[in-house]
Amino acid sequence: MSFRKIDVDAYDEDVLHESELYEPDPRDSAQVLSDTKQQQAAVRNSLNKGDITGALNIALDSPPYGLGVEEAKNLALQTVVSVLNSTKATDIPNVLRSLAQNEQDTLMKYIYKGMGMPGWGDVSGSVLLGWHEKLTEVAGTGCIVRVMTDRRIV
Amino acid sequence: MSVPEVYSIAQTPVTCHAFNANRSQVALSLNDNKAYIYVNQGEGWAVTETLAEHDKAITSIDWAPASNRIVTASQDRNAYVWSQSPDPLTGALVWKPTLVLLRINRAATFVRWSPNEDKFAVASGARAIAICSFDPENNWWVAKQLKKPIRSTVLSVDWHPNNVLLAAGSADMKARVFSAYIKDVDKRPTPTVWGEKLPFNTICGEYASPAGGWVHAVGFSPSGDVLAFASHDSSINIVYPGGPTIYNIRISTLPYVTLTWTTEGSIVAAGHDCQPMVFSGSEAGWALVGTLDDTTSGGTKFTAKTGTVGRLNSTAFNTFRNADTRGHAGGGDVVGDTELLTVHQNTITSVRPYEVGRDGAVKRVSTSGVDGKLVIWDVAAVSVGGVAGRLGAMRI
Repeated sequence: MSFRKIDVDAYDEDVLHESELYEPDPRDSAQVLSDTKQQQAAVRNSLNKGDITGALNIALDSPPYGLGVEEAKNLALQTVVSVLNSTKATDIPNVLRSLAQNEQDTLMKYIYKGMGMPGWGDVSGSVLLGWHEKLTEVAGTGCIVRVMTDRRIV
Repeated sequence: MSVPEVYSIAQTPVTCHAFNANRSQVALSLNDNKAYIYVNQGEGWAVTETLAEHDKAITSIDWAPASNRIVTASQDRNAYVWSQSPDPLTGALVWKPTLVLLRINRAATFVRWSPNEDKFAVASGARAIAICSFDPENNWWVAKQLKKPIRSTVLSVDWHPNNVLLAAGSADMKARVFSAYIKDVDKRPTPTVWGEKLPFNTICGEYASPAGGWVHAVGFSPSGDVLAFASHDSSINIVYPGGPTIYNIRISTLPYVTLTWTTEGSIVAAGHDCQPMVFSGSEAGWALVGTLDDTTSGGTKFTAKTGTVGRLNSTAFNTFRNADTRGHAGGGDVVGDTELLTVHQNTITSVRPYEVGRDGAVKRVSTSGVDGKLVIWDVAAVSVGGVAGRLGAMRI
């Protein structure tokens, strides 16, 4: 059944490309990487001071998305996961409520990304599930729907 | 607070509905290849006529109030205009179809008459919108196509009150405003906020929601100066073209698939959440106000144990939640109640104005749903508590 493997889109001149589905990041890939590294350092600083909300605010600000920034994406996931892992379960609802809607949507993206790569780095399924439950209670199912529709994949 | 009028029409989904001018009859598609005309018989609706000409499911129907013509669009790539004429044998008025030359090679998805009823727009899966006008020489409707820059299926259209501009929502995640000016039909339009010179296929605006998603529904405000669109990222966007200023309201529930303006400052939107929601605002800002579906006043239906409304309160959800939290499936407290707390028991497919007051404001809207219901709502009966209750319930 090799005809099933034919890439029919290659013969369609009107085909919609992945990159046409979202506004590209104005920063170039080197800039994105250095920004993400700075964020990681700032997040560590905040975590050392015990400021979880502040750390999460920094970690969720202008996340890398799009093509060609894989290194920055992985780094950003590590940064977010490090914040999630170092939060006490009882603090989670208050932290989530203080986030803006934008940040809640971005956090949900990272939670799903983390769940897609179990055992990678410090990703822990049970921590992510705990955050997912609390985030859904705060931001609703709409937040999950937005993760699925948004093509600015982190 | 008035209670909505609820009519259970069918056991099958009602794909779309369109009332006639005096609201005594309604044309429905029950998700098959026929359009059914129901007449109000005091205590309910009964089928009086069946419009059978399409080969595949009818996707959209519109009824022109002044000229009393129905247009149907179908997955069979055709549209028909139906008008009443006397039957040669019996003399009774029957609906007769007229062919429309759409020239599309994919399903027709949505159809709307223009305000002057001399044109209609058919959205399609062929990355095109057919603007149809009547050709008296051949006694059929001919189409001119809006193609560029549409990249995917067009899911909805809405006419500007000036009979020239057309808004379209598409699966390429964009809402656009086009000029659908037809030389032989339209007079030169006066300049609007959307532009001054408007030859056919001028793109007057192109907008997208920040988180993307198919644009399911578009709508011009009554004045035509503001555009609203609902997209699959569970958000509704209101566009003021001057700036342009775009207000994006993200909601906490499932996406809307249909919307209608009720006044210059309020919108009713409905969809997968099974209840019509009201938004209001002005150029200074927009916000969710409440729901028309006041679930708390239902009395008998509302019980304390089920605080959530909409899809989160299904038996299936409760069963899995119990299985998760208590380690057993099908607890004793969730026996057999598959009913949602909302009036519609499934996705609302279409919301349309039903009664317009003297001041031009819509007083009542009608909705049809996948649950086979047709419901008429009073737009003044907004329940703010319902929303607060629901949002409260989200944080269990």
